[in-house]
This record gives sequence, structure tokens and C-alpha cells, in this order.
Amino acid sequence: MVKNQRKLNKYKIQQMIVQFLPLVALVVLFLVFCAVVQTKGYRLDMYLKIVFNEGIVLAVVATGAIFIYSLGSFDISLGAATLFSATMGVLNYNAFENVPLMIVVIGVSGIGCSLLSSILASIFHIPVFVATVAMMSVLSAVSAQIITSRGGALGGISIPSNVLKSLDVPAFKIVTLAVFFLLCLYVFNFTKIGRREKFIGGNPVCAKLTGINYNKHAIIGFCIAGLSVGLGAFLTLVYTPSVTATTASSLGMNILVAIVFGGMPISGGADSKIFSAIIGGFSYILLDNALELIFDSSSGYGITQIISAVFFLLVVYAASMNYRTKTLPR
Amino acid sequence: MRLIKYCQGNLKGTSKAMGNKVIFRKCIGTLAIPVIAGLILGVICLVNGKAMIGNRTSFNNFVIYAAIIMITTIALSINLNSGRFDFSLGAMAILSSGVAAKVTYSVLSGGKYSAALMLGLSLAAGILLGLISGLIYIILRLPPIISSLGVTLIYEGILYTMTGGSYIMGEVQNTSMAKVSGSWIPAFIIIVVVLITMIILFDHTKFGYEYNALKSGQKVAVNTGIREIPNALICYAVCGGLMGIVGFLNTVRNANINGGQLGFGSISIMFTAFLPMFIGSYIGRYSNEKFGYLLAAICMSMLNSTFAVFANTVNASMQSIINAVLLVVFLVYLNNEHLLKKGVKQ
Repeated sequence: MVKNQRKLNKYKIQQMIVQFLPLVALVVLFLVFCAVVQTKGYRLDMYLKIVFNEGIVLAVVATGAIFIYSLGSFDISLGAATLFSATMGVLNYNAFENVPLMIVVIGVSGIGCSLLSSILASIFHIPVFVATVAMMSVLSAVSAQIITSRGGALGGISIPSNVLKSLDVPAFKIVTLAVFFLLCLYVFNFTKIGRREKFIGGNPVCAKLTGINYNKHAIIGFCIAGLSVGLGAFLTLVYTPSVTATTASSLGMNILVAIVFGGMPISGGADSKIFSAIIGGFSYILLDNALELIFDSSSGYGITQIISAVFFLLVVYAASMNYRTKTLPR
Repeated sequence: MRLIKYCQGNLKGTSKAMGNKVIFRKCIGTLAIPVIAGLILGVICLVNGKAMIGNRTSFNNFVIYAAIIMITTIALSINLNSGRFDFSLGAMAILSSGVAAKVTYSVLSGGKYSAALMLGLSLAAGILLGLISGLIYIILRLPPIISSLGVTLIYEGILYTMTGGSYIMGEVQNTSMAKVSGSWIPAFIIIVVVLITMIILFDHTKFGYEYNALKSGQKVAVNTGIREIPNALICYAVCGGLMGIVGFLNTVRNANINGGQLGFGSISIMFTAFLPMFIGSYIGRYSNEKFGYLLAAICMSMLNSTFAVFANTVNASMQSIINAVLLVVFLVYLNNEHLLKKGVKQ
């Protein structure tokens, strides 16, 4: 009896450690980053601003992406969709010079891209991953075509820098992230939509047998992700008013890394956590920037990436230690 | 007795006729897509007064590209068919060819047999990288998609650190490499050797039978005593070796290796194999799956040659869009085939 109680306590402690590990990692990374900047003699406020601006776009888009990942699906076209939405926004502003209209166009483009992916997946029964691969190719190619035909291969296209300058302040960005995050938190944790999405991700067959419509929830999930893509594209334009063919190019994959980094299982289901997006997003950006400062040489980017990857694998390994199966995971 | 003999004779005739019918159906099913694709693309070129493969150089490129696509497709399908998605294929290709190019140049300084040595080293480096990737997956027991993300970043980072982010050019631009790119025969030999090896390995060996058992039912196969870990390790090593060859062929084709691909820049190498993989699987219903991948690669190479003919009007972005649309259209057909057949019957 006592032995069992001990085992249970040990398990509970293990679970608690696993649950708080991403948050602890974020705090540690923040402290390490500050220490590195101070040691190098750089301005901490300037570097924190860079991390904040990079992290906020990743955190916003990743928050929306949680709704796709919790279903057990994943979307690597989100970076390309962000580029496409930003491109549409710039084109629209240059044609009509109307900021509210530009915001609407960016939002509609983001939702439209995600909706198309979800229709391909749920209505035409294409595997989600393959549908998003195709969407990624199409969206990046269309954006590149527009950007190179209008702004040249290197120059890109842009809106006048003063148009969104007034919004390039931390307060606006924090409020945007907070409002969107709280909205997603509410939908994900306190409504039927979130609960059913987690149920589908955990056991799709059981969910289907209990009458939950997968297609409907997939479309809702993708629409929320589309909204986050639109917001991410807008925040990208607020930070840098020009768009090139490489804008947000690695965002799609970074989201995947960030979400896993934040402690969410890639298979989705009941263990999905909406906080993973923010914690993982900022952790990943902090780690990346800290390492870039430490290895400040021509090959420094390579070393930075290797260490980030090793760290990523170790964190995910530590977080998934409780889920070991007899067969190899697939 | 006579009646029985008559019936037997009749049955023999019927089964022979049915056998012929099946063979005919299989031939049609196998060749339909490549023939139709060839005809359509050929007609498009002819209408515009051009030839899809106009000279010897374009034929060489056609065979080399077909080899690249076929081998990438086989490598992608080995793990993907077993439910293991491997993002690191492209990174294995660039890193193995990068290492092989550097070592070859330091040994032969671009002299005779440089290409042969580089091919051998690329293959060996690829196998080693594949094994490391497999070991990371097995030791950490993470879902393959996650472990391969980490491995991709590590391999890209190693190549970047090795090259300082610049292109490897001087080491791979020599007479020996030019001879390989200037002839279709080496690529053709590679296609034949790889195809035969893969068919034997996956369809006619103990490893292949166990691989197929694990592919169809992992838990049942493991419970019957099949050792999953060695099987998975061999799969990763084979994939690595194949991607080593792809890295070599890409180097031959481009006369350089891009050492500056960070942040998952290498995964585009793998994405080119998605469409041929699905086409190959479809063709594989009527013949051997690996042979299907070869025919699918030929289709993709014909498309690539057509793009090259219209390079002035169809740029790289348009090519990506066309490829993606073709992928979507084919998948829509493939995944709704039963509904379409049902509709036609009704």
C-alpha cells in the first residue's frame, strides 16, 4: 500500500516536472539571453526589442496553429500563407491607400488560404499534410511571382514606412497578442469546439462514433489558424513595411518546432496546451538569438542551428519520457 | 468423360483468355499515365514548333533528372509507407555530397576518377548519415517527424559550418564530373542498379518480407517476433545511401552544392518526390511499385524537359504552381476514385 502510494507520488512529481519544464526552460533561456547580451556589452533593451518583435509573430501564428495540431493534423503552409497575406495587403494598400481595407484583405487572405487547405483535406479527402505541402508550393510561388514582377528579385514590394509606424510600439503588439490569445484560450479550454478538437486528436474513431463531425471541426480549426496567419502578416508589416520572397519563409517549420518546444505532443489530443504556442515561440526565438550572439562568426549561424536542434531534441525527449511504448513510435 | 474433357478444355481456354485479359489490363494500367503524359507534353511542344527533347544535351538532362526523381521517390517512400515521415532526406543529400566533394578534392584535386570516388564517398556518407538519423530516432523514441526535424537542422548546420555558408564549386567543377553530366549512360546505369537492388531488397529478401509485415501491421509483426529496430535502422541506412546518390547526381546536374541552406532550406529536395510517389503508387497497382516510381520519374522528367523548352515563358514560380496543381488534381482523383466509379456505375 505504502509502496503504491510512493509510486503514485513519484509519478505525480514526474508529471508536474514535465508540465512545468517548458516554462522553466523559457525563464532559464531569458536569463541566459540577458546574461549573454550584458557580457557582450550590447544594449539589452535593443536586443529584447528584436526578440519581442520576432517572437510575437511566431507566438500569434502558433496560437492559431494549436487548433490544427490538437486535431492530430499539421500545417506547414502557415509561413507561406503569412507571406501571401502580407503580399496581398501591400498590393491592396498601394492600390487604394486605405489601412482598414488593407487589414480586411490581409485577414480574408489568411482565412482563405487556410480554408482552401481544409477543404482539400476534408471535402476532397487529401491527406492534410500533403494538402498543406501543395498549398505551401502554390502560395510561395504566387507570392514570389507577384513580388518579383512588381518589385524585382531582391527589392521586394512595400508600403510607405509611415503608414503603420504609429502601431510599431510594444503596447499595441502586446494588446493584440493578449486579446487574440485570451480569445483562443476561451475557445480552446472552455467551449465545445476546443474539447471536441482535443477529443478528435486523441481518438478520431471514438470521436466519430460519438457523433462528432470531423470535417466541421477541421474547418473551424483551420479558420482560426487562418485568422492568426492574417494577424501575423499584419504584425510583420507593422515591424517591416516591405515584403520579399523570403519573408516568413521559415515560419511554417518554426511553428512546428515552437509548439513541440512549448510542451505540446505532436499527435494532438487531450494533452494539447494553448500555452505551448507562447512559451515555445518565445523560447525558440530567445535560444536562437542567444546562440547567434555567442557564436558571432561567419559559420556561427551553422553552429547556432546545431545547438538549437540538439537542445530541441533534448527538451522534447525530456518532456516525452513518460510516453514510452513497446513498438517504435510512428 | 467426354463431357468432363470438354468442360476442362473450355475452362482452360477461358482461364487462358482471362489470363491474357489480366496481362493486357496490367500493361495498359502500367503504361497509361506515362504514354498519355508523353503524348500531351509532346503535342504541346510540337504545336509551338519545338521538340521536348531536341538534342543530346537535353536527353542527358532528361535521364539525369529521371534518376534524381526516381531515387528520391524511393527513399521518401521507404519510410513514409511505414508511417515514418523523414524531413531529413534533403539534408542528408546535401551534407553527404558536400563531405564527399571536399574529401574527393583533397585526395584527387579534381583529377581522373574524381566522379567515381565522389559517388562512392557520397553513398558511404549517406549510409552513415542515415544510420545516425535512425539511431537518434530509436534511442530517443520520439515520433519520427520530430526526430527528423532535429536531424535536418543538425545536418544543415554542419554543412553551413563546413562551408561558411557559401557554395561548393571549385571542388566539383572538373573534367571527370563534366564527363558524367555530359552523358546519359552513367545516370542510366545508376537507375538500373538502384532499381534492381531495391526490388531485390524489398521484395525478395528476409529483410523485405519483415519490412512489409511491419508496414502492414506493426504490433502484430512485433508480437510474432520480427525485430523492428534492426529493420528500421536498415531502412534509414538505405534511405541515407539513396540520398547520397541523389546528392551526387544533383551536384553533377548543377555543378555546385549550396552550403548555405539553413532553417529547413533543404526540405525542398524531398518535396519534388511527392507527386511521383503518388503516381508511382498508382502505377504500382498494376505492376511493381518500384517500377512505378521509375515510370513516374520519367513523367516528371518529361514535364521538366517541357518546362525547359518554354523557359522564357514559364518561369520557376509558374513551374512550382503547375507541379502543385498537378499534385492536388491527381490526389483529388486518387482519394475520390471510389466515389467517381460509383457515380459512373449509377
